[in-house]
Amino acid sequence: MTFVRWLNEIGPDDQTAGGKMSRLADLARAGFEVPDAFVVTSVAYQTVAANCALGAVIERALAGIGPDDFDELAAAETRIREHLAAAPVPAEITDAIAQAYEDLCVRRREVRLPVAVRSSSSTEDAVAASSAGQYDTYLGLAGTAAVLDGIRRCWGSLFGARALGYRMRHDLSHADSPMAVGVVELVQARASGVAFSVNPVTGRRDRLVVEATFGYGEALVQGLVNPDHVEIGRTDRRVLSYKVGDKRLVSTMDHQAGHVVEVEMPASMRRLHVLDAEEIDALVEAVIAAEEMLGQPADVEWVLARHRRPGDPATLVQVRPVTTAVEPAPDAAAWNPAASALKYAFTPGRPPS
Amino acid sequence: MTNVVPVDEFISDSWYPGYKPARDDAGAYTEGLSTFRKEDESRFWLLDFHYPRGMVPLGYVFPEDGICFCTQQAAEQLPLPTSGGLAVRMAGPHIYTSEVPVTSPWAIGERVDRVQRSLPDILGRFEQTWADRISELTRGLAYFEGQSYDGRDIRDLARLYEEAITFHRRAWTIHFEIMYPLLATYVGFHGTCLELGIDAAEIAKFLQGYDSKIMETDRALWDLTRKARAAGLGSIFETTDATQLASTLRATPAAGGWLEEFEAFLRTYGHRTEGIADVVLTPWIDDPVSPLGTIKTYLQKGTDHDFEKARIAATAEREQAIDAARSRLTLEEQRTFDAGLAACTSANFAWWNEDHNYYIDLRAHIPMRRAGLAIARALGADRSDDGLFLFRPEVRRLADDQRAWASMRGLVEERRSYYEHWLSRRPTMPKVLGTVPEDMSDPVMREIFGTNAGFFSAMKRLTGDTSDVTTLTGVAASSGVARGIARVLHGAEELHRIQPGEILVCEATSPNWTPAFAKIAACVCDSGGTLTHASIVSREYRIPCVCGVGIATSVIHDGDEIEVDGTTGTVRVLARAGVSS
Repeated sequence: MTFVRWLNEIGPDDQTAGGKMSRLADLARAGFEVPDAFVVTSVAYQTVAANCALGAVIERALAGIGPDDFDELAAAETRIREHLAAAPVPAEITDAIAQAYEDLCVRRREVRLPVAVRSSSSTEDAVAASSAGQYDTYLGLAGTAAVLDGIRRCWGSLFGARALGYRMRHDLSHADSPMAVGVVELVQARASGVAFSVNPVTGRRDRLVVEATFGYGEALVQGLVNPDHVEIGRTDRRVLSYKVGDKRLVSTMDHQAGHVVEVEMPASMRRLHVLDAEEIDALVEAVIAAEEMLGQPADVEWVLARHRRPGDPATLVQVRPVTTAVEPAPDAAAWNPAASALKYAFTPGRPPS
Repeated sequence: MTNVVPVDEFISDSWYPGYKPARDDAGAYTEGLSTFRKEDESRFWLLDFHYPRGMVPLGYVFPEDGICFCTQQAAEQLPLPTSGGLAVRMAGPHIYTSEVPVTSPWAIGERVDRVQRSLPDILGRFEQTWADRISELTRGLAYFEGQSYDGRDIRDLARLYEEAITFHRRAWTIHFEIMYPLLATYVGFHGTCLELGIDAAEIAKFLQGYDSKIMETDRALWDLTRKARAAGLGSIFETTDATQLASTLRATPAAGGWLEEFEAFLRTYGHRTEGIADVVLTPWIDDPVSPLGTIKTYLQKGTDHDFEKARIAATAEREQAIDAARSRLTLEEQRTFDAGLAACTSANFAWWNEDHNYYIDLRAHIPMRRAGLAIARALGADRSDDGLFLFRPEVRRLADDQRAWASMRGLVEERRSYYEHWLSRRPTMPKVLGTVPEDMSDPVMREIFGTNAGFFSAMKRLTGDTSDVTTLTGVAASSGVARGIARVLHGAEELHRIQPGEILVCEATSPNWTPAFAKIAACVCDSGGTLTHASIVSREYRIPCVCGVGIATSVIHDGDEIEVDGTTGTVRVLARAGVSS
């Protein structure tokens, strides 16, 4: 039984590491700059769940509740999460996690290394794929106890009210959703964001998109911040537009609370450019390489570490295939006067020019 | 305003007194000239601002041939997929225009197929085609302008009249043969640019700064202005009414040298009238009151309009706008943009739409006028302009029979008062009749007349009380912001009322209004889009312009202080005339 696996031990088809950590392992294997990490496999979760008879508890908690009874589902969520939080975790599991965390600190030469604890559900998890329930992520946890607590909470996030409702509606099993949890070195982020190797709105491949904000990426990923928006031409890597966002919030480390929090951005920083030309180049390089690795258009979550120097690669913390329908690249003869006239000059109902 | 403006008051079977069109007079292509019938109410009709005086009988050849025949012929030949060209209804002598709809799905399918094959070839050949057409038009104009009409045998004059009608129809055939494909191409490029994320206000700049024959005329007028000042003629211009300037200058020995230059100017640029295709107007070369009046107002302005500076600025702005737009496009998008821009630059609608006026709109009707008037005079007409009140078949009959003028005398007088009656009715005639649609299909109606979706929604605002409306919106046609006193003008003949620095507010402008743009601070029009005369000329003169406002002449009063923002397409009334702000 393997409860813990390092990034370089995760194989290409390792189901027990979950989708998110498998893809991070893919990036590492392909030579991308990624944070050091280990995964608490779904085997660990399944062992804990079996030990505490979770299946029966879920069944009782959901008895007589329909998929749209939101208040009742929320109450069931509380009961299931409380049960999991109190469930005994076998010593072999806690020991393995504690040891791995200590090893991670040693590898990074930092005592009480802050980490991101991320849910990594199965790639076949329909709930994750449908965005019906976003599973938990905790940024900036430090120390064994906090890390263990974060892992338990990630397990519990399988049973959020919306995820419960989704599974009921689609007749999916609650107990059979395995959950792995990644423990990932928290890269000290000067800036974070996302990048797309295809325009996610138009599906056109000649235009790449980078979105960026200061600090950690949580506020951006959760859609809480209006980021800088950069568009880049794929062929000549030229910046086509750079729209500075009004960044009202920033994700930053709260050392007293012991994790990353969202706070108001100081007015003097809200409208500053996040990225310079060299950084944009590095991000374009990374997202195009990620696309090549996947063999299809990609989106990545990236971090520019405080210690990064010009010329260094950007750090990637996540990669996904883009699901937008991809338009064929325009060819040189794309301006057809007759087609444009038909579309715009001869058709009533277009907006006035 | 409801969605339907009744046509009832204009339903009529009667034309000018004593006239009933016969079926073969004009040879309509699809839908000939007619009066209003009740069933016309289901279509949309716009009182055509290009012809603010309506038509005298001799001029009916224009709506018959120039509008109906030539637009319908061009719409069939290109073809336009969903429009069969323009249709005309006469309300008295006034022109209401609509489109000839094409509704059969089969026909539209075939027309789409044909235009896809024809348009690229037409564009590819445009430069050669227009050069050929200019030669043809220039030869034709030289032929007619080299004729002497006085003292000629009436049979010669009758032959000249027939030739003039043929030339007129040919000129307008050329007009629409070129206008439709160029306009459609530009509108298509405009749409492609919007699709590429280019700001609408930038797109019009891509094609500005190219010199046209109309600009050339204006430049010559400024040149004459400078020379008049240098020759010490300033005070004569200042103290003499425009109508008396020609005779006063001729009586002034010191003006001799300047007058010689002015006569040379008229020989080149004076074969034009103050309005489009209107035979009632006297060409400059026969009565130079208009160019002399223009020079008079230019002298009042005190400072010269620096054409070179304006042209350099317009060119620089064009190149800058193109560079800025390209810098925001991917290499692949740049190829699309460059191909579209190249096609639109070589077949430049914005430029052509000014340039062609010199050869066609202001000029091609003059030979008909000359021949018609000369025939009437040869038959013993009482007044030199009596010939204006004869219809095409009547001119033919009179010339053939060499009938004495006495038979026409009473009728001409009746028609004269009919024309005067309708001329005085014009300002209160409804701007639109029939069913107000959401949008139109014919590109000329939409882009030149400005009857697009924005126009129709503005028209609908006229429903209620507009006295408290102080902010108006329209097409942002030429960028910049200006404040000034509004001059609400209903015709080019009122242009002398406008003072330097004031803001022109009108239904629409046409090429004869161009000289005013050198002295106004901004321009606001009820009609028109980014491609109408006012928009194009405002960009060349670098003044703010908002078009297609729909209700500007109703809401803004003469003397109001207003602000025109040509960048956003907004017009604000800051202070009402007579009310201190």
